[in-house]
Amino acid sequence: MSQPAAVRSAPDVLVVDGVVRRFGDLTAVDGVSFHIAPGETYGLLGPNGAGKTTTISIIAGLLAADAGEVTVAGERMGPQAVAPKRHIGLVPQDLAIYPELSARENLAFFGRLQGMRGSALSDRVAEVLELLGLSDRAKGPTKEFSGGMKRRLNIGIGLLHHPRLLILDEPTVGVDPQSRNAILESVEALSVEGMAVLYTTHYMEEAERLCDRIGIIDSGTLQAEGTRDDLLRLTAEADTVRLSGSAIGPEVSAALRALPHVERVDAGPHELTLLVHDAPARVAEVVTTASAAGMALTGVEISRPDLESVFLHLTGRALRD
Amino acid sequence: MSTVLAIAGTELRRFLRDRSNIFFALILPLLLVLMIGLQFGEDASARRALVVGTESPLRADLITGLQEADVRVAVRDRESALEQLARGRADIVLVVDDEAAAAYGSGDVGVEAVLGSQATAPLVQRQVTSVLSGLQTREGQVTALTSRGVDRALAEATLDDVTASSSAPTLVVRNLDEREQQFSGMGQFDFGASGQLLLFTFLSSLTGAATLIQARRLGVVSRTLAAPVSAFQLIAGQVLGRFAIAFFQGAYIMAASSLLFGVDWGDLSASLVVLLMFSLVSAGAAMVVGSLLDSEGAAAGVGIGLGLVLAALGGSMSPLEFFPETMRAVANLTPHAWAYEAFADILRRGAGLGDVLSELGVLAGMAIALILLGSWLLRRSVARAM
Ligand SMILES: Nc1ncnc2c1ncn2[C@@H]1O[C@H](COP(=O)(O)OP(=O)(O)OP(=O)(O)O)[C@@H](O)[C@H]1O
Ligand SMILES: [Mg+2]
Repeated sequence: MSQPAAVRSAPDVLVVDGVVRRFGDLTAVDGVSFHIAPGETYGLLGPNGAGKTTTISIIAGLLAADAGEVTVAGERMGPQAVAPKRHIGLVPQDLAIYPELSARENLAFFGRLQGMRGSALSDRVAEVLELLGLSDRAKGPTKEFSGGMKRRLNIGIGLLHHPRLLILDEPTVGVDPQSRNAILESVEALSVEGMAVLYTTHYMEEAERLCDRIGIIDSGTLQAEGTRDDLLRLTAEADTVRLSGSAIGPEVSAALRALPHVERVDAGPHELTLLVHDAPARVAEVVTTASAAGMALTGVEISRPDLESVFLHLTGRALRD
Repeated sequence: MSTVLAIAGTELRRFLRDRSNIFFALILPLLLVLMIGLQFGEDASARRALVVGTESPLRADLITGLQEADVRVAVRDRESALEQLARGRADIVLVVDDEAAAAYGSGDVGVEAVLGSQATAPLVQRQVTSVLSGLQTREGQVTALTSRGVDRALAEATLDDVTASSSAPTLVVRNLDEREQQFSGMGQFDFGASGQLLLFTFLSSLTGAATLIQARRLGVVSRTLAAPVSAFQLIAGQVLGRFAIAFFQGAYIMAASSLLFGVDWGDLSASLVVLLMFSLVSAGAAMVVGSLLDSEGAAAGVGIGLGLVLAALGGSMSPLEFFPETMRAVANLTPHAWAYEAFADILRRGAGLGDVLSELGVLAGMAIALILLGSWLLRRSVARAM
């Protein structure tokens, strides 16, 4: 896909450069660097505790970095930087809305904090309510909302002021499939409008569907970064094989690791996840070996390379919910 | 500034949105003012005498004399007078029977009195005695003159001239009881209204701090800082919001007690400045509670506990004047006591702004200290949450 030169050289909306953050002895974010262009959706994919929220808090200027720097729309970000925050719309992981105020009042309040006033504000509030499908529930207190409605409002507050960078921190956690789909669709629509989006998740399907580029983060480090296809190439076409069952002892993992075509083995309590080259031809051997080592098998599943296999390839661990 | 106002306005709106506040902030204080007022009885410091008996010169002179001595007098039939006395609605019942009325003309002055059990009753009795002895003296003088052949009308006119020309030594009868003096000039609902105003302004501020705790816990405070809002604006907005809640509560009680119970708040500008200063103290305390505690339930508990204890110590429940010496000293540690003194001066003794400057100064000091501490705690809690 060839882009016009002007678009290609459009300056990045977000530049994160070597950001480090420690909490006591724990280094939650350890030298993370990436950048996002206008209209681009960038996914941070990583398990619980990977450092996604910490990274986002630093970008949004809520948390100071111990090292490195963040630039948003050309302006240096940090806890003391107030003005550059107008470029950012933050949708926090936890629902940050006033329960006793209505959806409209919540939107109007955060709009005023962004410096919006009068009819410009009320028009935009009405527009966002429409976009979120909340127009007919604009008046009641939000504590009476369903989880999905609250999530939608949480997102609406983030995009109310047309930020250049919208940051969404796991916006679909605990949401029913219908609301989830509505949320994903609205994010897709935003990037079409030219907004840069930073999207964190530990659902690989969401990252695959939404994101132009994906950074895989684990233990505070960016393990790899690129388009979905770039990342899949890293696994050298290894398939993911899941063995479910019980009696998964260390000797089972050891026996499997010894097989020539098996690249990685991650043992969970009820499941073994393996990266296997040429899996369809090798799966019989894998199953026999596991049984021989004492595992009580109840199921076998082979999947084509996906981000799950990439994560396993990079970290030696499965990306679980 | 508009950011600060948006934050403050939202805090006040959230406080008013809470249904339970309609009862606790709007209805309960007025009920308590009413109940305390009824306990105090109609004008606690008023002295009342009831007179029984048919129309006569003695009755008329007695009533005039007592009224001049600031005693409220009413004529009743014997039965209802004694009943009212028994209920504590009067200090003394004076029976001017026909015999006494007849004796008056012959220079013999005397009435039968039944004394009530109020603290003020002996005082009224002394006033009655003094009025009667005045009448007796005068009757004696008239009789002395008429017995020497002076016409009665001339004798009375002469005596009137003497009284008018000589500035008679007036004995101002003050309440002997110091306590009585302190409460004079106070209406029935005044103590209840100023006490409940202080109690509820402080209490509502502290329990209202739950909205700050909730906002911190839900991450709305952090989200506010993700907008182009400085920490200073956030804190100023919160302080202003807490102040708005406190001042609203106090001003509401002031207005409602004045409309419903006729409480006279004296020099209104002075009263409002006292309320304003006390609201700032309350706002500071709410900032401390809202930033220090992490659960709304704890804020309600601490708010109610601290709100009631400080109000009791500070004279909002029973008058400071009833406190023993050491308790008075302890009371001065509470903002309530200082505001109580200021209100007592304004409501009972007609003081103006200039007379309560020292109380206002102490309140201002408390407000500054608490607001600074609360702001520092909020800043710290926000930084910690990040
Ligand atoms: N304020 C804090 N104090 C101490 N440790 C913290 C703090 N915030 C985060 N951490 C730690 O930093 C690490 C990264 O946390 P972070 O919240 O960034 O992960 P995450 O990728 O967002 O995880 P999740 O998917 O669960 O939201 C975790 O080990 C977490 O316990
Ligand atoms: Mg997180």
